[in-house]
Amino acid sequence: MPNKKNIERFSTAANAVGAVVASLTDAAEAATYISEHVAGAIILPPSSSLERLGLANELAKHDSELIQDEFRTKAAQASAGVTGANFAIAETGSVVLESTPEATRLASTLPEKHFVLLDPSKIIDDGDDAVPLLRRFHQEQPRNFLAYLTGPSRTADIERVLTIGVHGPRELHILLLDGLSDDPLEN
Amino acid sequence: MKQRTREYKQRIDQALATPKLQEALHKFGDAFVAARAKAFADYDFEALRTAIAAAKNKILENRQHYLDQFIENATAAGATVFLAKDADDANRYITDLAQQRGVKLVAKSKSMASEEIHLNQALEKAGIKPLETDLGEWIIQLAGQRPSHMVMPAIHMFKEEVADLFSKVTGKTEPSEIEHLVRVAREQLRQGYLDADMGISGANMAIAETGGLALVTNEGNARLCTTLPKIHVALVGTEKLVPTLEDAATIIKTLPKNATGQAITSYITWIRGAVPCGDEEKELHIVLLDNGRSALAKSERCKDALRCIKCGACANVCPVYQTVGGHVFGHVYIGAIGIILTAFFHGLDKATEIVRACIGCRACVEVCPSGIDLESIILHLRETIGEEEGIGTGKSLVFRKVLRNRALFHSLLRAASKLQKPVTRGERTIRHLPLFFSSLTEWRSLPAVAEKPLRDLWKDIPQQVEKPRYTVAFYAGCLNDFVYPEMGEDLVKVLNRLDVKVTFPQKQNCCGVPALYSGDSETAVELARQNVAAMLEDAPDYVVTTCPTCTMALQRDFVEHLKDNPVWAAKAELLAEKTIDVAGFISNVLQPEEGTFGKVTEKVTYHDSCHLKRGAGVWQEPRQLLTQSGHELVEMEHADRCCGFGGSYSFSSHPDIARRILEDKLNDIKQTEAACVAMDCPGCLLQLAGGLDKTGSKVRVKHTIELLAESLK
Repeated sequence: MPNKKNIERFSTAANAVGAVVASLTDAAEAATYISEHVAGAIILPPSSSLERLGLANELAKHDSELIQDEFRTKAAQASAGVTGANFAIAETGSVVLESTPEATRLASTLPEKHFVLLDPSKIIDDGDDAVPLLRRFHQEQPRNFLAYLTGPSRTADIERVLTIGVHGPRELHILLLDGLSDDPLEN
Repeated sequence: MKQRTREYKQRIDQALATPKLQEALHKFGDAFVAARAKAFADYDFEALRTAIAAAKNKILENRQHYLDQFIENATAAGATVFLAKDADDANRYITDLAQQRGVKLVAKSKSMASEEIHLNQALEKAGIKPLETDLGEWIIQLAGQRPSHMVMPAIHMFKEEVADLFSKVTGKTEPSEIEHLVRVAREQLRQGYLDADMGISGANMAIAETGGLALVTNEGNARLCTTLPKIHVALVGTEKLVPTLEDAATIIKTLPKNATGQAITSYITWIRGAVPCGDEEKELHIVLLDNGRSALAKSERCKDALRCIKCGACANVCPVYQTVGGHVFGHVYIGAIGIILTAFFHGLDKATEIVRACIGCRACVEVCPSGIDLESIILHLRETIGEEEGIGTGKSLVFRKVLRNRALFHSLLRAASKLQKPVTRGERTIRHLPLFFSSLTEWRSLPAVAEKPLRDLWKDIPQQVEKPRYTVAFYAGCLNDFVYPEMGEDLVKVLNRLDVKVTFPQKQNCCGVPALYSGDSETAVELARQNVAAMLEDAPDYVVTTCPTCTMALQRDFVEHLKDNPVWAAKAELLAEKTIDVAGFISNVLQPEEGTFGKVTEKVTYHDSCHLKRGAGVWQEPRQLLTQSGHELVEMEHADRCCGFGGSYSFSSHPDIARRILEDKLNDIKQTEAACVAMDCPGCLLQLAGGLDKTGSKVRVKHTIELLAESLK
């Protein structure tokens, strides 16, 4: 069950670092939200939760151009990436995305916008609570690439002025969707 | 003067002539302190740093075990691990690999270890182009400079300079607008990731339990560098090892807060092993860099420095760094930790100048997230360099022949009192000195040596205590004894009123700190012995002090100097237990009743002396006493920032830096509009009184004990 307090804490922390958090009800709403925010091509890497949701079909209804193969060659031209999330951390407003498949990494690093669909029941309290989950990943996967994503890419390297979107996404949208997935090991 | 020293002094002059740099670093220091406090508001910083220290200590105690564990796990995950014994070894491995794979372009994310070994130069020499992709590092690369800060490499540069550099890259005039410049960097560097055949990163942690690496970043370039190119080389200092994922989580919780005041950085990236890359798997090489780290681990006195998690906070809060920046106060690594790492990674000769640039204020120790006593290690290195290179014939002679011989030292001071008459003209302040000494009084008047030292006045100071609660021995220290004897009279007056009898052991001598700070530990040990004997002779209940630097000598240094000496170790510990600063003694032990002091209605601001607040942990006590005695206490900004005295620091080693630090303090005092500035250190008093006198200020400069004496009914 989603923990209301955790959702609030998560949203506050995520907003504080410039992420957008929106609560949606179903795939159609998610597709509408995404297509309203994106003009160009969207990378949609394989994701068990998003496949169950049927997000690709919904996005297709909006005539969105989807990239679902040959990621390496097409990713640099994409305007947005859409991924699920394994879990999230309320304390810092971070989403955790297992990114071992290269396509997931490309979708979350190269485009200017990144949309993450998260089941709010997978929001845990804090960074310490993430450790047992990290350990489970390591036990089940001999090799992996795990990412905590907290807000958009940022820098303060010129005169310490905070500037958003230097190399990674300039926008991070976190779409909360009940019933998406209850397994922190999948995204 | 050595060429090295000359160049160093030129760098200082250049930095001091760049007020814009100082202004930027001062503002940064203030913003950092505020942001850091906010970030840790709901966290127990002490508990976090204790946990980090414990995790890193495990590695220090069992280095080979954890190194083996990491290598085994990383190798099992498909990484090739190479243990590089020094910079050449690491550079050779990486350039050979690049040449074998036909690499033309390398996309690099930020790595201090690569700066440490000058990897870019090695790559360029081998015909390979390194492209720095971290914004700050790219700016530095374009400018042909080195970073002046571990976390913010280009903090010394301004947007106009960045615009000029970027304009050369794009071939058109780029406006000096920061958001635009960041855009330019994004566009210019993007193709680099896609074209690069190799990505090079550092790592913030190497986790023994998993054989994985963790990277703590904000820009997202490290994620691109480790994803797009087919080969990933991670260059990792062996000090980055942590035993478990829990330890890594603790560092992640602490590092961003202590580095930039962020709750967490935008990206935490955990990479374990060779992950997919296109249709193949990535070629992952982990180069574990020793380069002096094993030697550092073996140094009992310095090894704690390997606990460093490279947050840069020690520089952010450092008054010296704020005054001259990292191109002066550092080699590759900068600030307090930089001094230590330079000595071990780049050689003692590279650290010789900067090891003396530390003013010893311990601001760094207070914020270090790994609980490293940076100041003590720096002092130790100064001793080592003193032994290697000598401390200068003049100083050496004074310390060995004069300081160690109390009778001679004190008779010379007495003679000085008479000899100074032509310049003091009978006053208590020296405002000008003739000829080549004149620079000493250009920005600060100096106090005259008193006509009679406290030790000679003592027998005539009346003491009336019918039933003493305690008998305490007063350790005056040289300044209180020979320059400010009236402070001692005031101490007697106040303590007598509180039913305490005070003795003055005549055999007490200099605490040895001037010798120690100059690197003459032998003299310091001899003085420790003399003072332990002198102060314990009459078995006092307590030993009270008016100088916090002396307090630290009695409480800390003597114990350290004499710990291996079976005759003296226990005595030194006994003296340490009995020693207490006078404000702490009155406030915590005597606990004067309300009404002990009269009411004075002077507006007073309080300056925290470095060694009292961050050495003895005393800062509330004097404030409480000042308030209790009716003073209107107004806090100044940066009350606990160093005044720039630092003993010989402000006289001989770095007077120009000391002067700037003093100016900051005088400005903060002025802002309060207080009529009096109080403190608990005769050294700070000398500095502030001298500085205020030179500016014609009417603000009184007083030791807390003097104000208490004034307010006695």
